[in-house]
Amino acid sequence: MQKKERFQQFLLTLPSTLIFILVVVYPFIAGLYYSLTDWDGIAKTWSFVGLGNYIKLFQSKALLTPLKNTLQFTLVNVVACNILAIFVATGIQRSTRLNNALRVIFFMPFIISLVVSSYMWTYLYSAVIYPVFGIRNPLGNPQTANLGLSMISIWRNMGYCVVIYVAALQTIPESLYEAAAVEGANAWTKFTKITLPMLIPALNINLTLILGWGLKEFDTVMAATGGGPGDATTSVAFYVYKTTFVWGKAGFGQAIAFVMMLGIVLLTSLVSRFLRSREVEM
Amino acid sequence: MKQGSTIGRVLHLSIILLLALFVFAPFYVQIIYSLKTPAEVAESGIAFPTRLYLGNYVEALENTKLMGAFLRTLLVTVTSVLVLQCIAPVCAWVLVRQEKRRFYNFQYYLYLSAIMLPFQVVMLPLYSFFRQIGLLNTIPGLIIGICGFQLPYNVFVTASFVKTVPISMEEAARIDGASVFSTYWRVVFPLLKPITITTLILNTLSAWNDFQITVVLAFKENVRTLQYALYMFFGQYSAQIHQAFAAFLITMLPVIILYLALQKYLIQGLTAGAIKE
Repeated sequence: MQKKERFQQFLLTLPSTLIFILVVVYPFIAGLYYSLTDWDGIAKTWSFVGLGNYIKLFQSKALLTPLKNTLQFTLVNVVACNILAIFVATGIQRSTRLNNALRVIFFMPFIISLVVSSYMWTYLYSAVIYPVFGIRNPLGNPQTANLGLSMISIWRNMGYCVVIYVAALQTIPESLYEAAAVEGANAWTKFTKITLPMLIPALNINLTLILGWGLKEFDTVMAATGGGPGDATTSVAFYVYKTTFVWGKAGFGQAIAFVMMLGIVLLTSLVSRFLRSREVEM
Repeated sequence: MKQGSTIGRVLHLSIILLLALFVFAPFYVQIIYSLKTPAEVAESGIAFPTRLYLGNYVEALENTKLMGAFLRTLLVTVTSVLVLQCIAPVCAWVLVRQEKRRFYNFQYYLYLSAIMLPFQVVMLPLYSFFRQIGLLNTIPGLIIGICGFQLPYNVFVTASFVKTVPISMEEAARIDGASVFSTYWRVVFPLLKPITITTLILNTLSAWNDFQITVVLAFKENVRTLQYALYMFFGQYSAQIHQAFAAFLITMLPVIILYLALQKYLIQGLTAGAIKE
């Protein structure tokens, strides 16, 4: 009986396990091996180069621009999304009809694909914003292209943060504000001494999410700019794609992908740990 | 939160309304442009159209490549969402209820750590593996790829939900002699409804909007889905803006309808996972 049940349980998890091994576990292990070779991605033969790709990677100057672009894109996104979202959320937290409608609007871009968002904005930049407002298309200028891309991403992701912040604000007990009011605290003091500290768990979620999305940025680059002008918007993820599939240096691309993964894990867990240490106990 | 002065509150709300305008404007401009002829666009810009012109939509709908991709995306999305709902919750349930056994505990942590995994890490091996076994550039291959990459998230959030479901009802069913599967199907699965709806919406969005997996696993024309079809189309030709906008609106229509119909559940689900009360 016991044995039979255990076997049934195992059978129930099997489909999930199989697909997971097929799509994630096995490719991950195979990838580790490929990163130690000079494989071009197609040929039947390759040679083992040990840590050669990893050594080359840390000496490569070509990687600095994608790295800089990705970090800049991520930083702008993290800061802008969170500041704007806190600003918006503190104004629409009460569930009135107008506020509910506003929440629906702010979240709407998030359900649109990154590809469509990118094309939509390239058209808006060149064919609507320029003729109507006289603001030049930022994607055409290497100096501003990366910021232009960030704009698209902020437009799309801000609403997600708003939703999380609104939910967090609604859990702050009203009594805290009442007590502060009795003590004569002004709006700014209440915001910095009550609202912000109470928002830290939500900030943690939003920060790590936007951080992760930013560091993995791929779709917008490929669709809106193709990495250009020049390499002004090439992100690390896009660079990996090009190295692997366009330039035929699959082993090297695989090595960059692993270092990129480690960087993402390290950065997000550091930020998350720091914020968790700042959470206030209720 | 009680804000300070009335002036401050009015200012705050005004800026929020401006931001909302900025967020909504692209949708507005798209709708307006897509309902105009090129001549009207040049003449009246973003003003409301004086008459209804559906030519752009007709053209987009007559574009067989785009519509083929649309139907394929529908197939891929519906299938992968159904497959995920069949395999992920039951797996999460066993993983939680058997967490004391090392085999399942290890699996749980594998799923957990795969959530953050960037697709780039498995991109090349997946591509060459699928090419070897004949799944590259096939619809089943794409579905398996999308499911595999959504699976860790589904297992994780469902597992968190199962932990809040009391075990007593399951035990009662077991004493009555119900099998493992019927305990899951009759007792547990109905209780998972809230998280099922949330994952259903999120999986639909990811499958419908997927670009990265498609680029690597299904790039040939006969298997192309919407996002990649749009990429190929607008990457090669610079289509006229009013036609492009009509095409975009058609491709986002299904997810917008889904969102507006189920937004309450979506928001509940997103925040329930995020905010612990």
